[in-house]
Order: sequence, then structure tokens, then C-alpha cells
Amino acid sequence: MADPNVMLDNTAQGGPAVEYVDLFKTFDYPVLAGVNLTVARGEILAVVGHSGTGKSVLLKTTIGLITPDDGDVRIDGQSVFDSTPRVLRELRRKVGYVFQNAALFDSMTVYENVSQGLSDRELREMGREKVTDKVVESLDLVNMDARAVMGKLPSELSGGMRKRVGIARAIIGRPEILLYDEPVTGLDPVNATVVHRLIAKLRQELGITSIIVTHDIEGTLPIADRVAMLDRGRIRFVGTPDEFRASADVLVRAFLERDVPIELEQV
Amino acid sequence: MASTQSVVDEGGGEPGPVGRWLARVGRGSETFSRHAYGVALIAWRTVVYLFTGRIALRDVVTQVYWMGAQSMGIVLVTATLSGIVTSQQGGYQFSGSVPLYVLGSVVSQSVILELGPVLTAVVLIGRVGARITAELGTMQVSEQIDALYSLGRDPVRTLVSPRIIAGLISVPLLVAFADCIGMLSGMVAAQATLGLGNQAFLYGARLFWHNWDFLYSLTKGLVFGGVIPLVAAHMGLSTRGGAEGVGRSTTSAVVAMTLAVLVVDAMFPPLMLQ
Ligand SMILES: Nc1ncnc2c1ncn2[C@@H]1O[C@H](COP(=O)(O)OP(=O)(O)OP(=O)(O)O)[C@@H](O)[C@H]1O
Ligand SMILES: [Mg+2]
Repeated sequence: MADPNVMLDNTAQGGPAVEYVDLFKTFDYPVLAGVNLTVARGEILAVVGHSGTGKSVLLKTTIGLITPDDGDVRIDGQSVFDSTPRVLRELRRKVGYVFQNAALFDSMTVYENVSQGLSDRELREMGREKVTDKVVESLDLVNMDARAVMGKLPSELSGGMRKRVGIARAIIGRPEILLYDEPVTGLDPVNATVVHRLIAKLRQELGITSIIVTHDIEGTLPIADRVAMLDRGRIRFVGTPDEFRASADVLVRAFLERDVPIELEQV
Repeated sequence: MASTQSVVDEGGGEPGPVGRWLARVGRGSETFSRHAYGVALIAWRTVVYLFTGRIALRDVVTQVYWMGAQSMGIVLVTATLSGIVTSQQGGYQFSGSVPLYVLGSVVSQSVILELGPVLTAVVLIGRVGARITAELGTMQVSEQIDALYSLGRDPVRTLVSPRIIAGLISVPLLVAFADCIGMLSGMVAAQATLGLGNQAFLYGARLFWHNWDFLYSLTKGLVFGGVIPLVAAHMGLSTRGGAEGVGRSTTSAVVAMTLAVLVVDAMFPPLMLQ
């Protein structure tokens, strides 16, 4: 098993993009129990693990939507939980977040939803026409016919379409870091491929760092630099996709081979 | 609670009935202070945003229209009825003993000092407050509030503050409207059913009239106008757990707003009528 504290800083220019330091969070039970993980700049990290192991909690903690009981998250070296509200807002603007259930603003049209990803200042300075161009461009990137959907309300879209609007909203502001919570769950294979290619392209062209929480191992591993597996609140494994597939760790094997863990209760 | 528990401990480590009761009081006051803190925080941030000019005027105008203009119908109905009821009841009590023109004073004072502001507030708790809680609560449980934060936006600035400011503007106006309608309907009812002429009614009203009574009424409106959206928004934003959670927080918000309005209302006479 690879040591989670070793940083595979393959594309580094400066410090790491995101650092998780000794994160603890208990809800009904310890959900995060000492998570340590470093994500290099420009890296694509896939986070996998069984349902309910705290992947979404980890992602939300990254930008301070959930406050941990102990530990810290650093984005570009800046502590998320030691920040003033203003600094925190600025940090959050550097990070795009794709929610597991899209979390679109249901009283706003698709156009308004996506344009909310721009700051008030950008909205003011760019003017209606340029904003529209940007919105169309972002929707194009997620393979959506902008003209057809821009005026619709989220309730008039399918689940997969909502998800892609959520991605368009997260990328329109050109964040440095993107956090995806199951970006392709509920998408058809074609659109899942579109999204995976988009993630790879954003890294290639703009050097964007991505953390992808996913259950789609087959689709995500090819674009990922590293895989981290979360289990019962801890990082059980972290390494390259090849190391992940070749790992001898019982839990990783069980996970990859879709074993139902019966005798694993006491591991 | 540790110290009280040891005093009322009846052995065996389990607290006795008194201990359990005290523990409940302790939890209750803890809940209360947590909510009070949340409400104070929202109020403070609204003040800051107001003075740094970061609240969109357009949002405030929309909310004033919806809270104020659209509530006029229901306020009209309640104010009319409160005026009629007060004058009927006063007429019944006074018949034979006190000169009937005193009714003018009774109706106008009851309506201005108490019924106008409080009934308007109660109507707005249902019409405006409950909706704010349900709206924000739904946004909370569907992660839309988290989405706003993730985009570097503060939901208090974009969703809550405009509603509070709109409440501060529109509720005093609605109260003024309710006061006028209530007095008018009281006067008309007194003439129609008791035969008290308008002149006599107005004479009675002027007898005990203080100009600041009306200001007192508007001040109540202003405070209620702040309290209702403030409590409603706080309860909405602290919603947890799905559709059921939204239902639960909306119910508690209505209870909390009603209590807050009545308690604040009870504090007015000692503070302002001295
Ligand atoms: N706000 C919250 N309040 C209470 N408990 C929570 C909260 N958020 C998450 N949990 C609990 O934390 C645990 C982990 O949840 P999380 O959503 O992170 O799982 P996950 O790994 O993302 O699962 P999935 O793959 O199904 O999305 C769950 O048991 C959940 O009940
Ligand atoms: Mg999840």
C-alpha cells in the first residue's frame, strides 16, 4: 500500500493545490477519521470508496461547507478554516464545485444558473452579450445545445442534463481547482465520455487541478493521475491507477472485484 | 448541568425526575441561545451589507412589492374586521354607563396601539414568514445554499438581507394602512349599529389622542418588519433533512415568529409608554 503522505508531485510548479491535514469529522459515527492527502497542482485525482464512506463530506469540507471537528484544509497554502469570510469567499471563487445532485437554483433559468458562476464584478463588466457568449461556450463544453436549454428551468430538464448544467456553472468562472462529486453518475455513456474528456482537456489546456469523486472506475481511471480510496474515514490507498489495479490490499481487491465484503467486517 | 445534576442525583448515576427536568431546561436554553446567536449574526451581516451598499436594490424592490403591495388585500380584511369587532364590543360594554362618544377613543386607541400592528404581524407571519422559511429551507436541503457558498456568494447578502430590508420598509406602511382602515371601519360600524354619529366618534377619538401614538404604532411595525423575516430566514437556513425537515422548520418558524412578535409587543408599553 502506498503511503498517503508521499506526494506524487508530477506536474508541480509551486506548492500543492489542496492539502488535507488530519481531518476529523463525526456525525452519527466518525465519518472522517484522520484524513491526510495532498493534491498536486494540475493533478487529476480520483477518489473512490463505498457508498457512505464520506467522499461527499470530504469534498464539502474542502471549501468549508462542512466544518471538521479537527484538522485543516489548505488551498494554495491558505488555510480554509483560518480564513476571514472575505478570504474564504475568494478561496471559494478559485474552486469550482460540481454537486452530486447538481444543486441548481430551481427558481432560475439555465442561463441564469450558469451565469451565477461568474462573479458580480465580471457580470457587471462583461455586459449581457459577453456573458451570453460565455454561457453558450460553457454549455457547449458539456455537450448541450445552449439555444435549446438556456431559457428552461431546472425542473424541465432530465437528471443528466441538470448534472451537465451543474458542470457548466462550475467551469464558467475558470476556477483553478475543480471538485466533482460523481460527475457522470446518471449520464449516458456518450455524455460520460464527453465529461471525462472535458476534465482531461481542462487540465491539459489550463492546468486545472481536479478531484473527482466517482463510482465509475472504468471511465475515470484512464484520465486520473492518482487514485485515492477512502474507507471508514481514512485513506486506505493512494497511488497511480496502475498501482491501484495491481494493489494487493484486500479492500482494494474486494472493491475492484466487486466483492460483497462479508468476512471483511473485521479487517 | 454537571453541578445541578449532582445535587438532584438520586443515586445510581441516572438523574432523577428533577435532574431530567433541569437537563431539559438546560437543553432548551442551549437551543434558545444557539438560535438567538444565529439570528443576531444574520442581523449583523445585514447591517454591514447595508452600510457597505452591497445589497441589490432590485431585490429589495421585488420583495417590497411582494411583501407589501401583495399583502394589502389580506391586511385590509383583517383591519376592517378588527375595527368592527372593537366598536361592537365597546358599544356593548358601554351601553348606558359611559357616554357613547368615548367609543371613538377606545376604537382608535385599541387599533393604533395594539390591533393594527399585532394583527398585521400575525397575518404576515403566515403569508410572508412561513414562505421565507419554506423557500430557504428547501434551498438548504437541496444544497442550493451550499452551491451559493461554493460560488463565493453569501446567501445572507443575496437572499436574506433584501427580505429583511423589505420587511423594515413595507411592514410599517402596512401597519399605517391597517390603522387607518381599522379606525374607519370602527367608525362606520359604530354609526351603522349603535347610531353613534361620525362627529361624536371623532370627538371621542380626539379626546385621548396623542400624536406619538401613531409613531408608536409605526415603530411596532418597523420592529415586527425586521423580526419576522429575520427569524424566518434563520429557521430556513438551519433546516436539516429533506422535505420533512422543511415542514418541521416551517412549523417551528411560525411558532418562533409568533412568540417573538408577542414578546416584543409586550416589551413596548414598559419601554415606550412611560
Ligand atoms: N450534513 C450531515 N449531517 C449528518 N450526517 C451527514 C451529513 N452529511 C453526511 N452525513 C453522513 O456522513 C456519512 C458519509 O456521507 P457521504 O455523503 O460523504 O457519503 P459518500 O461517500 O459521498 O457516499 P455516496 O457514494 O453514496 O455519495 C453518511 O453516513 C451520512 O449519513
Ligand atoms: Mg456522495
